[in-house]
Amino acid sequence: MMASSLALLPFAGNFLGRAEAADSKEAGFNGRPNSGIKGDYDLVIAKGEDPYNITVKAVESMGGMGRFVKKGATVLIKPNIGWDRTPEQAGNTNPRVVAALADMAYRAGAKRVNVFDITCNDARRCYANSGIEAAAAAAGARAYIPDDWDVVKAHFGLRGAASPMEDWPILREAVECDTFINVPVLKHHALTRLTLSMKNLMGVCGGNRGLMHFNIGPKLVDLTRFINPDLTVIDAYRVLTRNGPSGGSLDDVKTLKTVIAATDPTLADAYAARLADVDPMAVPYIKTAVKEKFGSADIEAAKSITIDA
Amino acid sequence: MKKLVLLRRSSQLIFLSLFVYILWSTTYPMTGIFPPATFFSLDPLLVMMTSISERVIVAGFLYSLGMLALAAVFGRLFCGWVCPIGACVDMAGTTQRRKAVLSDEHNSLISKPKFYILTLILVIAIYGRQVAWVMDPIALAGRFVSLNLIPATTFILNKIFAILIRDMGMTGAVRDLYHSLKPTFLGVKAYYFSNAGIVLIYFIAVAGASLILRRLWCRMLCPLGALYALAGSAAPFKRIVDKCLLCENCGNECRMGAIRRDMSYVRGECVLCMDCVYRCPARGVRFGFGLPRPAEEAPGRDAISRGQFLSFLTASAASFISIPFLKADPAEASETDDARRVGIIRPPAALEEIDFKDRCVRCGNCMKVCVTNGLQPVMLEAGYSGIWTPRLMPNIGYCEYKCTLCGKTCPTGAIPPLTLERKMRTRLGVAEVDKSKCLPWAEGKECIVCQEHCPVAEKAIALDVDPVSGLQKPRIVEELCVGCGICQNKCPVRPLRAVTVSPRVSDRTRV
Repeated sequence: MMASSLALLPFAGNFLGRAEAADSKEAGFNGRPNSGIKGDYDLVIAKGEDPYNITVKAVESMGGMGRFVKKGATVLIKPNIGWDRTPEQAGNTNPRVVAALADMAYRAGAKRVNVFDITCNDARRCYANSGIEAAAAAAGARAYIPDDWDVVKAHFGLRGAASPMEDWPILREAVECDTFINVPVLKHHALTRLTLSMKNLMGVCGGNRGLMHFNIGPKLVDLTRFINPDLTVIDAYRVLTRNGPSGGSLDDVKTLKTVIAATDPTLADAYAARLADVDPMAVPYIKTAVKEKFGSADIEAAKSITIDA
Repeated sequence: MKKLVLLRRSSQLIFLSLFVYILWSTTYPMTGIFPPATFFSLDPLLVMMTSISERVIVAGFLYSLGMLALAAVFGRLFCGWVCPIGACVDMAGTTQRRKAVLSDEHNSLISKPKFYILTLILVIAIYGRQVAWVMDPIALAGRFVSLNLIPATTFILNKIFAILIRDMGMTGAVRDLYHSLKPTFLGVKAYYFSNAGIVLIYFIAVAGASLILRRLWCRMLCPLGALYALAGSAAPFKRIVDKCLLCENCGNECRMGAIRRDMSYVRGECVLCMDCVYRCPARGVRFGFGLPRPAEEAPGRDAISRGQFLSFLTASAASFISIPFLKADPAEASETDDARRVGIIRPPAALEEIDFKDRCVRCGNCMKVCVTNGLQPVMLEAGYSGIWTPRLMPNIGYCEYKCTLCGKTCPTGAIPPLTLERKMRTRLGVAEVDKSKCLPWAEGKECIVCQEHCPVAEKAIALDVDPVSGLQKPRIVEELCVGCGICQNKCPVRPLRAVTVSPRVSDRTRV
C-alpha cells in the first residue's frame, strides 16, 4: 500500500535521483555479487538436542563464521518469519538457530546484524510469536520490519529480459548487505513440495508475490542468483510434514533435530529434501537449478560431514 | 485569577492528549496504560442510551452514573474541562473575537435544541433503537482521531521518512529511528479508511461551528451536554458573586451565554470555564459551595423547564406501549435487514445484525485496532442505520486468525470479546472460488497461494490434482472455512480476486 501510494507522489519516486543512480550503475546485473567463499566442507549436517549448539557446531565445521563475516561487516540473517505461529508449530525458523548465527556473526566482528522477513501474516504478530524478535534482540541483532517501499528493481544483465525475475522489486537492504545468511526452515509446501532456502528468499521480494508461484522453479533460481547468499543454514530441528507452509497443528510436526549448512544453496536444498524423504528432483527449483547448472545437487559427490553434537 | 483559566486550559489539553494517546495505543500489542474503551465507558449518553435501547447493562454503566453524579455536584465540569470536542471547539473559537453574548431570549433559544435532541435520542432508545452515536461528542471525536487524525499523521510521517531514507540516503540513525517507531507509533502499514472524508467533514463542521458563535455546538446541539446540563441544573458547586460593579464584563465574555443581563446565570449552561472569574474587575466572582446571593439566583427559568422535561419523559414512558410494534422481532428482522443479504462481512461473532447496529456506537475502536486494517467503516451499504459500522473488506485486509482485538476494544459488546479458542472457530463467512478467474482453473497456471495462506491447520482449501494437466486446483472445504478472508487478500488475480469471502454463512451472536 505504501509503495503504490508513493508512486502517486511525483517527487517521491526519485527525489535527488539516488534510487535511479543505484539501479543503473552497471547497466546490467545489480544484485549481490557471488563472494565465492567456500567452507571446509561443501555440506555439514549437525544433529543434536540443542538447536543453538548444533548451529554453532555446523558453522564451525564449515570453517567458522569469520570466513563469511569480515570485521565491520553488515550482516543480514534472513530467517523465515512468515507466519503467526509459535516455534513448536514449526512454521518459522527456530529462534535459537537465529540467535546462534547472530552471536557468531558478532563474535566474528560484524558491525551490525539485521534480521528481517516480509511476512505473510501481520508482521508484528509474526515477529513476536515466532520468538525470533526476542531471540535476535537478546543477541544484540536488529530484528525489524523491512520497508517494502525501499526496493531495487532486479536486473540480470546479460540474461536480461530472459529472466522471469527481471524488474522484480527486491528489498534494497537485502541487496546492499555485506554478508547474506539464508536461514530457512525445512517444511512442507503444496506447490513446491518443500519450502527450502531458495523458496525462503521470497521473503525479500516486494510486489504481488503470489504471481511468483507460476513458473516458480526458474523464478526462484534467478532470485537466488540475484541474492547469492554467502551461507545457507537450513533449520530442520522441527519439521512441518503436512499442511505447510503455515501449519498450525502439532500433529504435523516431526522433530529431526538437524541443522544443515552449505555455501551452495542447491546442495543444501537437495540434502534437506532427501532428509524429508522427497526426491530432490521433485522440487521444482532444485530441478531447475540442476538443469541450469546453478550449484550442484549431487550429494554423493559433495565433501560432507555429519556431526553429532 | 488567570490561574484558574490556565488550569482549565491545561486540563483540556491533558484530557485531549490522553484521549488521543489512548486511541493511538489502541493497536497490537495493546501496551497502552488505559483500556481503549475508557472514554466511551465514561460517557453516560452512549452507555445509557445503549443500555436502554438494548435492555442490557452495558459495561461502564456504573462509571457513567458516577459521571452524572459528578455533574450533579459540579455542573458541566466535563464539558469545560474534560471533553475532547469541547477542547477542539474552544481552540477553533479562539480564532474569532466576536462576542458570544446575545440577548437573554436568544441565549435561551439557542440552548434549547440540544434538549430536544437528547429527548429524541431517549425516546428512540426506549423504542429500542440506539441513535446516540449520531451526535455523541465522544464517539464523534473517537471516529475523527481513529479514522482521520492518526491515519493522516502517520501517512505524512511515513512519507517524510521514505524521502529521508530512500531518496536522501539517510540509512543510519534515521532509519533505525524509523524502524523503532514503525511497529508501535507509526503502524506497520499506513492506516487507510475508505470514505473517512465524511467523518472529517462532520468533525470540521462541529468544531467550525464555533466560528459562527463560540461553543455553538455545545450550547445548541450536543446531547451529552444536554444530559450534563440536566444533571447539573441544581449543582451545589456554583458561581458566587461577592461583589459586582455592574460592568457586565462577565456576561459579555461568557462563551456559553449562561450569564443573564441581570447577572443571574443558568447553571446547566455554565461549563465552569472560569472566564468570568478572570474578567471580573472587582474580583468579586468565585466558584464554590455556598448559599446563593440574591443577585445570582434571580428569578428566571433554566434553559428547559422541569415541566417541559417531565412532559417529554411522560411521553417517552407512554411510548413503552408501542415497543412490541417497533422493536421488530430479530428473527423476522433478519430477513429484511441483514448484512448477509447485502454482502457485508461483520467482525467475528458480531451480534445479530439488528442488535449489532443498535449496540454499535461507531467509536471506531475496532477499525483502529484491526491489525490488517481490514475493518472499514460502512457508508450506506447497510442502510442509514448502518452508517460507520465496521465491515471486513478482505481486499484491504483479512481477519488475522489468532487476533481477538476488535472484541476486546469494543466498549459496548457489539463485537463480543472472544477467547482465542472460540475466535479460531468463529465463521465470518465462507470463501468461494471463482473458476472463471482462478489461475489454475481458468488459465492453466500454477498458483495455490490461497491454500498456502489458509490459517486453519487442516486447511479449509483442498487442492484437487487435475488428472490431465497435473495442476493443483483449489476447492473450498466449507466445513472448515472460517471466512477470515486471507485467501481473498493474498489472491494474486487482479483486478477482481478469484477467491472471495461471502457472508452467507456466518456465526453471529444472539443476544
